Amino acid sequence: MDTLKEDLKKQIIEQLNLEDITPADISDDNLLFNEEGLNLDSIDALELIVLLEKYHGIQVTNPDEGKVAFRSINSMAEYIRKRKS
Amino acid sequence: MEKNTYYITAASTISHQDTFGKTGFSDSMSPVVPPALITPDYKAFIDAGLLRRMSKILRMAVACAKDCLAQTGLDQPDAIITGTGLGCLQDTDKFLNTSLTVEGLLPPTAFIQSTHNTMAGQISLSLGNHGYNMTHTQNTLSFEHAMVDALLLLDEGEEHILVGAADEHIEILSEITSHLGYAPGFPLTSGASFFTISKEKGEGTVARIADCEPVAFAKDPVKKLTRFLNNNSLEINDLSKIIYAVPGNANEGEYESIWRKAGLDPEKCINYLSLCGVYPTASAFALNYAVDLISQDRSLKNILIFNALRKENLGLTLVQSVEA
Repeated sequence: MDTLKEDLKKQIIEQLNLEDITPADISDDNLLFNEEGLNLDSIDALELIVLLEKYHGIQVTNPDEGKVAFRSINSMAEYIRKRKS
Repeated sequence: MEKNTYYITAASTISHQDTFGKTGFSDSMSPVVPPALITPDYKAFIDAGLLRRMSKILRMAVACAKDCLAQTGLDQPDAIITGTGLGCLQDTDKFLNTSLTVEGLLPPTAFIQSTHNTMAGQISLSLGNHGYNMTHTQNTLSFEHAMVDALLLLDEGEEHILVGAADEHIEILSEITSHLGYAPGFPLTSGASFFTISKEKGEGTVARIADCEPVAFAKDPVKKLTRFLNNNSLEINDLSKIIYAVPGNANEGEYESIWRKAGLDPEKCINYLSLCGVYPTASAFALNYAVDLISQDRSLKNILIFNALRKENLGLTLVQSVEA
């Protein structure tokens, strides 16, 4: 099991107060901003930027980077690893 | 000039009593015991995507507002007017605490939702309403000011106004009141009450607002009360009930003796703070309580809500029964 991805799921649930959703409900390739995924919106995107800084010490300064990074849990984990490498 | 009639066509309250969706709740009231609010299943009223971001006050307000519309069968009110004394405290508290403890970026949601007008805004968003949207914050007279605004809009030709008030208790309020030495004699609580006020009587309408007057810096409350009643062609002993708010540490005895001298049975005088607890807009609870009393006993013709929760402020609302 990829610990980073599991941690991300827990952090997203807490940060966005996703009631009734457990980490098991979020698959790694679910589109976070899609109706079939978590159906997040623009305020959630801001919360995700805060989440990356709060838990991972990463500042997203380029909006285009965020657009790609926040597609799914997979892309978020990939982005964090890339920024930390 | 002849006064207009303002019918209360729906009423809904969330409080520490079992009030939500319960006609006749006034029959089974007992002294308020916090901390638990008695809440409905909010998911029945609020979309899950919106609900997860909402604090206690927002959930209460939106649920009560939607319940009022469901009672009247209205899709949209002509206006949404709210009153709140202290606003969205939970989000304010969260935002300020985060700003003290977190370095760097701050989560935006609590900040966005910390303003007083978030309640009216969220109700409007939930309904997709584009009408007049106003929030009044005048300490313990916030609800009365909101009500006056609603009545003026009806005078101007609007037909159905959604008006209400809410305040929420957070832990730091108890600390602050303790530091200030404020001991109202009743527990600090939360509550929300909303109403649809309409130009025309609806099916099952039992009560109407005859008059509402907020008085700031009231030097002689009894004189103000007498004048208010006289303006409505009434004397104190014409009242079927007085529902009043006087904090336990204030001159409750003074008012009670006045009402007793006027010939009012002490049983007709109820301190509503003992039922809903203390929050700045508790007079909105009192209005729903008055409507419910009338719905259970149509012989109650005139009920006065006497809001002296804060000594300097006086809120007077006259509720009258409507002939079936």
